[in-house]
Amino acid sequence: MGSSPSSTPVYLPNTNQQRVKILVAGPFGIGKTTMIQTLSEIPSLHTEEVMTDAAADIDELSVTDKKTTTVAIDFGRLTISQGRIVLYLFGTPGQRRFKPLWSDYARGALGALVIVDTRRLADSFEVMDLIEESGLDYAVAVNQFPDSPAYDAETLRLKLDIEDHTPLVICDARDWDSSLNALRALAAHLVSRSGGSR
Amino acid sequence: MSPGPARRLVPSYLATGGVSAPEHSALEELTALTGTGRSALPHHTPAHQRLLDLVSDGGLTVMEIAGYLRLPVGVVKMLAAQLVSDGHLRAAAPLPDALAPRTNAGRPSRALLEEVMHGLLAL
Repeated sequence: MGSSPSSTPVYLPNTNQQRVKILVAGPFGIGKTTMIQTLSEIPSLHTEEVMTDAAADIDELSVTDKKTTTVAIDFGRLTISQGRIVLYLFGTPGQRRFKPLWSDYARGALGALVIVDTRRLADSFEVMDLIEESGLDYAVAVNQFPDSPAYDAETLRLKLDIEDHTPLVICDARDWDSSLNALRALAAHLVSRSGGSR
Repeated sequence: MSPGPARRLVPSYLATGGVSAPEHSALEELTALTGTGRSALPHHTPAHQRLLDLVSDGGLTVMEIAGYLRLPVGVVKMLAAQLVSDGHLRAAAPLPDALAPRTNAGRPSRALLEEVMHGLLAL
């Protein structure tokens, strides 16, 4: 029913935690939503954000009129540090035409986890460009599918053209430990990139 | 009831009762909102009422409220801004000032990043 909440709300235990966001970025169908569902302590939610003047021909979009499209953003929640910090994981689409929306979501984010699939590496190039332009630090998580070609790390780095310090981890977005491991790699990278700005 | 997911019947630009600019611009996606227990006023729309009902028993972020109410984040910000200024909602900023990013760089503090890293390692 349109007037009732989409599911039973899971309240925050209080509102004085630190609430921060991490982007889980990648093209449609790469496993963003799966990873968010794996890591989130609440059933994942989504919002539909209205964007104007975007091209209107691809997945993740539903056309409302010629100039307006809506973009679905999935997100979930993960509480750490005895409840002192709540991480919000935002699944953000990778296409350049979503850049206005992208900039909004990138603002204030701690960093980004970019999901790639070795069966279609090139699909993730656009989102990696967007992240680099936004100045966010990121780690790359290779979501391993059973029929994915197994490249060695060096070949992947070369194909993805990522810097030596950027973490590259293999993961299975359906698996808690594996997804958490990817998030830990990102967090360690963010600390090392933050330098002495205490 | 009709089968399948229902669309909201009121266009989002009407949900605010015609107000199109937030009075309180400090609300962010991760600002947490909690009801103060006051009941709705005559100028509050059904959308305001739904928001108040949702957070009457606990706090949720603007983003989560948008998800549960199936409204765009911008609309929730406008509704919430009115309700905060009317005294019906309490807003809590995502980060205490000490941990908020430096205004020049806009980057999270190292202390916060370290706590996130240790918190994830402890899971």
